[in-house]
Amino acid sequence: MNVQARKEALRYFFRKVVDPLGYKFSPDTELVEFSLEQEVALERKYGVPYCPCKRISGSRSENMKIVCPCIPYHREHFDAMKRCWCGLFVHKDVTDPSKLKQFPAQPLKKG
Amino acid sequence: MFVPVAQTREIASGGMKAVDRGDRKIVICNFNDTFYAVERQCSHQGASLDMGTLDGYILTCPLHYAQFDIRTGEALSGPVPPDPRHPTGDLCSYAVKVENDTILVEIK
Repeated sequence: MNVQARKEALRYFFRKVVDPLGYKFSPDTELVEFSLEQEVALERKYGVPYCPCKRISGSRSENMKIVCPCIPYHREHFDAMKRCWCGLFVHKDVTDPSKLKQFPAQPLKKG
Repeated sequence: MFVPVAQTREIASGGMKAVDRGDRKIVICNFNDTFYAVERQCSHQGASLDMGTLDGYILTCPLHYAQFDIRTGEALSGPVPPDPRHPTGDLCSYAVKVENDTILVEIK
């Protein structure tokens, strides 16, 4: 199976999911291409396009939280960072993703 | 030789129709009012793809979710979970043309 064709298919499906959530693919096209390629490899191995920057555990319920696009499961963090963990998706208003900060996965402090 | 298989009004945009012509089992797909025809049996374990889901140009098998590009028949992904014992190959695709609202498929 052709990696490029699968990347295009994932791009097609992901765009439909993230757009109503207020996200888009990062303008950093090199990062997008690399991340999608890693997801294709993960999908070939596990049958699921997991987030390429998160550890796959033995727990199915935990693994389901890192199936790309994982925005709904980590909405609070992503909205605060205006990006997802790996940077594949950013808020629609982001034009320069290099200026965005990353927060650790621990619960965010309020206030 | 092109043979008539359906009328355009029978398949709405995003829809599919299963047809048999001789020993060929075919599914006709309407993607943005352009018609495509591919082999109907999934190349993984032979499920009827017309019972699956057509989303844009991507046809998903109802049995194990293998996906195919209806424009070329190309396999985009294999079954879930992965099944190395039964590799998923490309589907046979057929040339299609429309004449006077009739969809014709080339059977060689």
